[in-house]
Amino acid sequence: MKELKIIETLLKGLPNTLILIVGSFVFATLVGVLIAWLYLRKHKGFQAIAKIYLGISRGTPPLLMLLVAYYGLPKLLEVVGININDWSKMFFAIAGLSIGWGAYLAEAFRSAYLAVDKGQHEAGLAIGLSNRHIFLHIMMPQTMLIALPNIENLLIGLIKATSLVYVIGITDMYNVATDLSNINQGVYQLSIFVTLALIYWFIVLIVEFIFRLFRNHFKYVTV
Amino acid sequence: MILQIKDLKKSFNGNEVLKGINFKIDKGEVVVIIGPSGSGKTTLLRNINFLESADSGIMKFQDEEINLVNPTKKEKLLVRRQTAMVFQNYNLFKNKTALENITEGLIFGQGIKKEQAVNLAEMALDKVGLLDKKDFYPSQLSGGQQQRIGIARATVLNPALVLFDEPTSALDPELVGTVLQDMKRLADEGQTMIVVTHQMSFAKNVATRVIFFDKGEIIEEGKPSEIFEHPQNIRTKEFLSVIAEDY
Repeated sequence: MKELKIIETLLKGLPNTLILIVGSFVFATLVGVLIAWLYLRKHKGFQAIAKIYLGISRGTPPLLMLLVAYYGLPKLLEVVGININDWSKMFFAIAGLSIGWGAYLAEAFRSAYLAVDKGQHEAGLAIGLSNRHIFLHIMMPQTMLIALPNIENLLIGLIKATSLVYVIGITDMYNVATDLSNINQGVYQLSIFVTLALIYWFIVLIVEFIFRLFRNHFKYVTV
Repeated sequence: MILQIKDLKKSFNGNEVLKGINFKIDKGEVVVIIGPSGSGKTTLLRNINFLESADSGIMKFQDEEINLVNPTKKEKLLVRRQTAMVFQNYNLFKNKTALENITEGLIFGQGIKKEQAVNLAEMALDKVGLLDKKDFYPSQLSGGQQQRIGIARATVLNPALVLFDEPTSALDPELVGTVLQDMKRLADEGQTMIVVTHQMSFAKNVATRVIFFDKGEIIEEGKPSEIFEHPQNIRTKEFLSVIAEDY
């Protein structure tokens, strides 16, 4: 009975946790693709932007990234006359996690792109395909397949990192768990956190299952 | 005349790989280029298809004169739409089936409608005896089958010129024969081809002209019987004396 009550309470934080996972992953992917693209351009300016971003972002702990997004972003945008002080905390959490994970994803995409056989591009040129078509229909799908194991790992890391958003006061599962533990003065602390761990594990199992389905679908595409 | 190359030069990091090549091919000719590894044979083919940019040189393709140093997008497309290349490592698109490997260029390179492209691709696969493999991905096919699909992809629209870059070098010996058969069939059908190969029996039996290439230069050229039986140049003689019959 006690366990059911714990699960029921923790799950109240699940919607926010899921919004954080999906939102951050989508935006981090967009950031990652953009930064990888900048890095792969043979343009020193673009490469410099990508390198600086990667250096700062990969060198900053995710907790700090969330704090910087929450406190720093409004101040930064105030300089250009945009007031985002009263925006939802969820926005800042997704921004912080996306900026942080975008760097890891960028490196996953970039290394995967470089691993695609150069001959694939040449074969496309030789049969009269445009560079754009080759990029979108030949190189990108193969890049994504090569990057898949890394993307899966990074997504799992992101799922766990969403528990850090308590630092800016978002009510996710971890925040609910600490509240529940405090209300009960630590009496059910172990049960609460083991249950929380099992829920996170269950989410990770679902992610692994989805990626496995994806891999099986493309099992004959060996890149 | 289909193709003429004038004074083609190409260097990599100061190393001159092509030292002013002059070369011409007429319709229906099967020109086989032989020579030691690293002599510039592949670089020549890659320059014809603009996969490398030349340091100097002019190309006359059919009636169009093209500067090989700065070809325009339109000129590149003109040549690529009327020539085709078969690669040493097949280079089939790994994320496409055998059929899609052929239709991709037809639909998005040549602007042919999908239905017609599929028909053409199926006919091309049938010609190389691999229609039953049309839905297979490259990873499900042997090297020989992949290369024959590469040939089907290259020749589906009867291009003016097909460039073969050591098409059998990456194959196991028992798979070489089927690929050479397909190439011989194309030659018999009158397909104009330039073939870089180490298959001397192919050069002897199928070529209309053999070119011996060494250190970025054309050393000697002539009919297969002239080159193989009565080579004039000492370097040609040396090369032919050290290679095995069907190396």
